[in-house]
Amino acid sequence: MFLVGSFFLFAAFLITTCIFVIFSKNPVNSVLFLVLAFLNSTFLFILIGAEFVGIILAIVYIGAVAILFLFVVMMLDIQITTLMYNIKKYVPLALLFAGIILAEIIYLTVFKTSKVNIDTFIRSKNNTEQIGDVLYTKYFIDFQLSGIVLLLAMIGAIVLTHVYRPTIKRQNIDSQNSTTAKDRVKLLKIKPGEGIKDD
Amino acid sequence: MTSLSLEITIGILKIFSFVVPVLVSVALLVYLERKVLGAVQLRKGPNVVGPFGILQSFADVLKLLTKENLLPSSSNKFLFIFAPMLTLILSLIAWAVIPISSTYVIANINIGILYLFAVSSFGVYGVIIAGWASNSKYPFLGALRSAAQMISYEVSIGFVIITVLICVGSLNLIDIVESQKNMWFAIPLLPMFVVFIISALAETNRLPFDLPEDEATLVAGFFTEYSSISFGLFFLAEYANMILMSSLTVILFLGGWYPPIDIFPLNAIPGIFWFVIKVFLILFVFLWVRATFPRYRYDQLMRLGWKIFLPLTLIWVVITSAFLFYFGLLPN
Repeated sequence: MFLVGSFFLFAAFLITTCIFVIFSKNPVNSVLFLVLAFLNSTFLFILIGAEFVGIILAIVYIGAVAILFLFVVMMLDIQITTLMYNIKKYVPLALLFAGIILAEIIYLTVFKTSKVNIDTFIRSKNNTEQIGDVLYTKYFIDFQLSGIVLLLAMIGAIVLTHVYRPTIKRQNIDSQNSTTAKDRVKLLKIKPGEGIKDD
Repeated sequence: MTSLSLEITIGILKIFSFVVPVLVSVALLVYLERKVLGAVQLRKGPNVVGPFGILQSFADVLKLLTKENLLPSSSNKFLFIFAPMLTLILSLIAWAVIPISSTYVIANINIGILYLFAVSSFGVYGVIIAGWASNSKYPFLGALRSAAQMISYEVSIGFVIITVLICVGSLNLIDIVESQKNMWFAIPLLPMFVVFIISALAETNRLPFDLPEDEATLVAGFFTEYSSISFGLFFLAEYANMILMSSLTVILFLGGWYPPIDIFPLNAIPGIFWFVIKVFLILFVFLWVRATFPRYRYDQLMRLGWKIFLPLTLIWVVITSAFLFYFGLLPN
């Protein structure tokens, strides 16, 4: 009873916040509603007993990704009217993606139900250990491949944004620390009437 | 009384038994900070209100409460009021999983350490929302600095936590403490201990990393526009976070409620006493650092986080797991 009630509560919140993500006039509010949506999906994961996946979702998406979104969106100077004007252009694409995801959900829930007796499976170990058991054994290749994809994406982003600008003065701490007084100052004895000889 | 309502009552009492001491110790920590700074700078510190000035912070809180709460006319009103509340709530809900003795904890969950990591990474939202909602230059710059800084140091905190977890083999905080019964992790993992304390300073925006509230360049950083109780909430949250990070350091590295040596007169003392003493020592280090070091420049801060701590912690994770693997010490 309590579980079912909480599920409907969080699911309703999730859908409401998702609608607000799309229809908020202000992009910053959209991102904040997106954070709420992530939080509610975390709660849903915890409700079905997948606390590890739920909390990882919270750490990665709320703790890092959404903050970077917010970071970028806060600094953009967006004209709200043009943003709302363009929204109709993306409707077909959005419907396409929604259709694909719906088809996946139907495929998974109707045609590919799990053969494992889930109840005994869940009781035997906590789900952090279960994920650890299969991640580096059964799904080793998939895990490493997704790691390589992420590494490539990271290197790509660095290559795209890292421009060498010779005009910028950078601090080289090692050379600063290894500098002695002799490198900077020279003591000269100057005789009257001669001045400094340039050498 | 039914068993459910009894359980709820006990739960609420338990929550109060954590929150009230934390809030009172925030007031005493502020007093301690001013006394320590005074002692370092050869001054007396607060010494008028109450015996030895110990009631000074309570007087300050009363003063803050009676002031007018100003709302900037161009701010986003809802988010402006919401941000300090969020910050304080986040710094208090983390206490739900902190075990102060082997039995006394509100919620003993399997993924306690991940929960703490998640909650401490949400902390940046209070700062960034406050900075944006104020609709003013200095708070905004403070919020941007804070977001970048806290994300950078979370990375190294994450790797430090992973190193500890490899040695323990469990995400449960009580298991983490109990595996330190014979040897505190601060000894074999000394470099990680140091990195964790420095990252904790950055994560709580304390000197020498208090760039989000850098007085010399940003007036007061992200809470420039805040006054009265909403400023008070930020202040409370900052110090509550300090106590939280100190407790986390004690749990991860200093053996929680265990005495330093397991011999008779020491292990007869209740565990909570050792826990509080250790938290107090770490807090004293926080204050000592504040009195000793000058503030970092922003590029130096980023360099330290990404170019020194990240490679160091990453290499240490590999070294630790390789060591445990080849000597067969990995927990099952």
